[in-house]
Amino acid sequence: MTQTMPEHHAGGITPGPLDPVTFEVLKNAFVTAVDLMSEQIMRTCYSFVIYARDFSSALCDAEGNTVMQGTGDIAVHVGTLHFQCKAVLEEFGDDINPGDVFAVNDPYRGGTHFNDVSFIRPIFVGPRIIGFAQNKGHWADIGGTVPGSFDVNAKEHFGEGLRITPVRVWHRGRLLHDVAQLLVSNTRSPYSSMGDLNAQAEATAVCEREILRLVERYGTDVVVAAMAGVQDYVERIVRNRLAELPKGEWTAVDYLDADPGQPEGLVPISIKMTIDDEGIHYDLRGSAPAVSTFLNSGYGTTHSALYAGTKTFFPEVALNSGFYRVVQAEIGPEGTVVNAGWPHAVTGFCSGPYEKLMNGIFEIWSKVMPERAMACAFNLEYLLVGGRDARTTDRPYFMWYDWMAGGWGGRATKDGSGATAPVFGVGLAVQPVEGQERLSPVLTSAHRIVTDSGGPGRHRGGCGLEKGGVLTDCENTVMSYCCDRARSITWGIEGGLPSVPHGVWLNKGTDAERFLGVTFSGVPIKPGDSFTRPSAGGGGLGDPLTRDPAAVVEDVVDGYVSVERAAKDYGVVITVIDPELDRYEIDEPATESLRASIAAERSDWLQEDPQDVARRYRAGELDMLDLVRRYGVIVDWGTGELHERTTEQYRELMQRRSAAYWA
Amino acid sequence: MSKQRVAVDVGGTFTDVCIFDETTRQVRVTKVPSTPSDPMRAVLDGVTRADVDLAAVSLFSHGTTVATNALITRNFRPAALVTTTGFRDVIEIRDGTKDDLWDAYHDVAPPYIRRRDRFEVSERIDYSGQVVTPLDEQEARRIAALLRKREVQTVAVCFVNSYVNPAHEIRMREILEEELPDATISTSAEILPEIFEHDRFTTTVANAVLAPLVSGYVSRLAEQLGAGGYAGDLLLLHSGGGSMTPRMVERYPVRLAASGIAAGAIAARHVAAQCGYANAIGLDMGGTSTDISLVHGGELRVTKEWSVEYGYPIIFPSIEVLTIGAGGGSIAYIDEAGSLRNGPQSAGADPGPACYAGGGTEPTNSDANLVLNRLGTSLAGGAKVLRPELAEKAILDGVARPLGLDVEQAASAILKVANANMADAVRLISIRRGYDPRDFALVAFGGAGALHGAEVARELGIPTVIVPANPGVTSALGCLLVDIRHDLSAMFGALAHEADEEEFENAFAGLEAEASARLRHEGVAPEDAVLQRLVSMRYLGQWRSLNVRCGSGRGALAEAVQLFHEQHEREYAFRRDDTPVEIYQLGLTAVGTTPKPAFTPHDASRKPAPAPLKTRKVYFDGNGWLDTPVHDRDALPAGSELTGPAVIDQLDSTTVVPPGTRAEVDEWLNIRIHLTEA
Repeated sequence: MTQTMPEHHAGGITPGPLDPVTFEVLKNAFVTAVDLMSEQIMRTCYSFVIYARDFSSALCDAEGNTVMQGTGDIAVHVGTLHFQCKAVLEEFGDDINPGDVFAVNDPYRGGTHFNDVSFIRPIFVGPRIIGFAQNKGHWADIGGTVPGSFDVNAKEHFGEGLRITPVRVWHRGRLLHDVAQLLVSNTRSPYSSMGDLNAQAEATAVCEREILRLVERYGTDVVVAAMAGVQDYVERIVRNRLAELPKGEWTAVDYLDADPGQPEGLVPISIKMTIDDEGIHYDLRGSAPAVSTFLNSGYGTTHSALYAGTKTFFPEVALNSGFYRVVQAEIGPEGTVVNAGWPHAVTGFCSGPYEKLMNGIFEIWSKVMPERAMACAFNLEYLLVGGRDARTTDRPYFMWYDWMAGGWGGRATKDGSGATAPVFGVGLAVQPVEGQERLSPVLTSAHRIVTDSGGPGRHRGGCGLEKGGVLTDCENTVMSYCCDRARSITWGIEGGLPSVPHGVWLNKGTDAERFLGVTFSGVPIKPGDSFTRPSAGGGGLGDPLTRDPAAVVEDVVDGYVSVERAAKDYGVVITVIDPELDRYEIDEPATESLRASIAAERSDWLQEDPQDVARRYRAGELDMLDLVRRYGVIVDWGTGELHERTTEQYRELMQRRSAAYWA
Repeated sequence: MSKQRVAVDVGGTFTDVCIFDETTRQVRVTKVPSTPSDPMRAVLDGVTRADVDLAAVSLFSHGTTVATNALITRNFRPAALVTTTGFRDVIEIRDGTKDDLWDAYHDVAPPYIRRRDRFEVSERIDYSGQVVTPLDEQEARRIAALLRKREVQTVAVCFVNSYVNPAHEIRMREILEEELPDATISTSAEILPEIFEHDRFTTTVANAVLAPLVSGYVSRLAEQLGAGGYAGDLLLLHSGGGSMTPRMVERYPVRLAASGIAAGAIAARHVAAQCGYANAIGLDMGGTSTDISLVHGGELRVTKEWSVEYGYPIIFPSIEVLTIGAGGGSIAYIDEAGSLRNGPQSAGADPGPACYAGGGTEPTNSDANLVLNRLGTSLAGGAKVLRPELAEKAILDGVARPLGLDVEQAASAILKVANANMADAVRLISIRRGYDPRDFALVAFGGAGALHGAEVARELGIPTVIVPANPGVTSALGCLLVDIRHDLSAMFGALAHEADEEEFENAFAGLEAEASARLRHEGVAPEDAVLQRLVSMRYLGQWRSLNVRCGSGRGALAEAVQLFHEQHEREYAFRRDDTPVEIYQLGLTAVGTTPKPAFTPHDASRKPAPAPLKTRKVYFDGNGWLDTPVHDRDALPAGSELTGPAVIDQLDSTTVVPPGTRAEVDEWLNIRIHLTEA
């Protein structure tokens, strides 16, 4: 089935032998080819993390540039797939054959973290490679010192998991069993890893088949020209859009909580963005040296954060290397938290620099495109409880591996989105409790929205959640956690306030209560222990004293905001008439006077002696929300010990993002 | 007086009444405008206008959008959710994902029951069905009293792990019934006894919020029809492609969500089967969108992954229909980077395509068809006159000038993009599942399906296109053809090679007993009841499962496992015979067959087509302008043969037979276009 070459060349719009119709048809067909690959992996995968949509798919051209990425792909893989494809090309050069499939997960070659294993299949027409099909998925385990391969305390990659530099797994259509066996034998779940290895490789064959169908229909040259044309097309859209935007320079700084190898103090990630006639430029120089945990980012994931953060403001633009051409980055020398380099541990980048870069970019673009402004979102978090399941006599290994949705920041026209997947990947689904309870000896105590968790603002942040459980029949069980923002708290903008600190509590509300913080690993726990943690809400946008009191009452009716915090955070005094019938009234005179007094005093609150504030927290006179929203004081939430340097930095931030906008 | 069957299909714009006369064996159709504020008015109005004597109706079936619309508008009576302490927000948290991954200003719709109307009660059952915390009856009574005070009319009771042990839900229901005797109570283990709290809760909540409205609508309609003399059961179309009586609608109103969408797919299957095709793809192209469905081996594809709105799954089997924004009114435009796009924006009914002279200035597919003379200037037998000069101007300004093309090249380009988009959608629903479109026939219907069908088929390598006799009202015909049908399920976790065959058999027997009871309750005679077992399986370690048919008795399970390997290979291109297969769930389809209309075939001995009405120049891609005969469909008897190019006009549609194809009118008055044997 062939078609004669179309005779019309649209004036300079599409290159070479392409007419506009063929171009549009192929552009859409590439989307279909990549999405078919995603669809297949969803249905055949073995890793529950892949099943929860932590995967991506791409069609790359013969040079490894991304032509089309899956429409449902997780944000964090954006802008890394071409690096991995190029790594295979560099490694194997002309020793790439029809029927070969390569694997790679190397974060030092543009990968994300070790769990994310890519399978890459060349697409041949005769002797010629015209492109590559790639599927990248998060294996539930890739070895290393802890189950799930998230070792917070790792300082170098050797303890984190298996590093897979580009390696051939199929040769001319034949599975290299020895190689595959070596890979999966270095994981805690060789059976499921082998299942994923097969499923991912099969998925790339789906894309290959679709591309070859297009070649048969339109000819090699047309398809190859369209692969280039699609990248040019995206570049053109973004450049057109840029032409309408102001030129200039913007900066933002966001922070990791701490570097345990250093004295207490927030760890800066500095972003400068310039828009000029050439495009969008990011400059991350000035960011802190690599930290002594695994919350570092390699160059691949740093680029991903920049692309994904920017893309949030160009939601309808397709993702490919044409986009990457317009977005340039200077990420500075190796050895920093945003360009860690070998052999720094980087697996926790997702909770660390990644989210800080994304949110910092949100802050910058909120100024460039005020109509799409958005305050900070909650931080990605992973809780792992692993050990032996004593409910059955064979005591199998179990892994309760959990991540939460949370709140996103307030927006220019409305409140933030509550209970939403992280910015790291909006398609990342949280797991059903009933499934988890079958697989693990953990009884979930709650999975609910937390009252007052949204950062107050004219448009408040979306609400965060709480999820925790009680251990039932287990042995040799440990808990690990990968998160951040117990101190660098999810912030508001334009006068809005922060939400709530992240962090895990053990046996909360009992004598044995302990605050374990946001990064720890291998904490032993036993049957009967309970644990819980919140996910933060989003930061608020705009001065909360300007929020419509009627909206505050609606929030009280739904329990998103308490009567007490309605007064403290919004200055809205509410009289409870009959809560059983949702009857609440605004006390208007009291509201007016409370708002006036808060407005008069709040700048002083941010100056109060931090030691004294910390003392009052320990004495139970003030609570956590008072400290983070009113006084700008950061303590160890368990012991109440003041973090002096952190508080200083945190107050500076509140000045800049919140107080500076208060009338 | 001869007996009649009546089917009423309510659409967004029109309510179609389809009448099959059992004596003449002819179908006639009446269209009346829909009345969204009270849909029943259009139904009764249509019945009156079609001059139906209700006393002479043997079967009345009905596809309704009442449930779907209520879910979208959230226009409910006071409803509440009672759930396990700690889990009040399951239906708001959902799985946390959004459908639009990148637009931070595009939110998921709010849940069907607001947080203020969700209440927690102390109780807890674990994964194995053991009671961890007994139901606190005092608290339960307090909540029941509170709901009475709040004048709640319908309650969803959704407890964690109730799918293993429903005792607490049942007790809660009893307490609620005592305190709220007039309210409807939906318990999650009864509505959907399946694992995964969000899926089960949301389905139950949808059932609860729909209960007062839908039951009310259905019983009022049944009453009206009864008063008019109809003595039979009113059959309501549900999403699974079957129907149910008002007695079952009362318990499972949520099954009426997406009631209407299945009708077109059922009609496509029927038309394909008439022509001897067990494999067919339905292409139902209307003014704003196209619905694509797939029949394989005589059965429609069914999915349990669907929702009326993103984030709120309704886990009942539903006919799989892929809807894309491509219709006659879809707008073609040049995007900001210079590419020619088509849809999903539509000119709709107002202003409509440019050629409708309703003020539309953007070029649409209808404008392109008109400019190329594929579409005549008069629609609906002259009721609507189209203005080619307006279409030309819209195409010239919107597409031709920016791309440097002449008007006909531009119009042709618009249609090519539209056809390619539809072909891509067909690929998604076919190739994705391992079906090769070349093994299928394309049934093209809806107002615009027959204009595009042959070119879409050519794009996909589909050899045959079937255009039913009345393409514009084919969906209503689907309504006439449904059986009573229920879909039941039960969890069954075991490895297939270890499963106890007796336990397996007993589990099915339990479902069958329940299914038979339901059918009996609906007045289905035992000899009309057909039960089909299904088992849902996966390779040990996988997360998704596949549904395969299962027989009964010894060896049935082993056969099902073989079928699973085969189906897995077809859908995903690989099988692993050495890997253990896990049983996940059992399913049962219970069908109460209703007598189907028996259509009379026409004499289809071959005869040359009568002389065309006229000849006009029609533009075909690759051929340019060709002299093309234009036929009146009503004048083409069964057995007529035509060679493309030809255009066939009828009241509700236009069929294009491109050059290089051959068309015939078959004994059922379908037009069959053969693409490979010109």
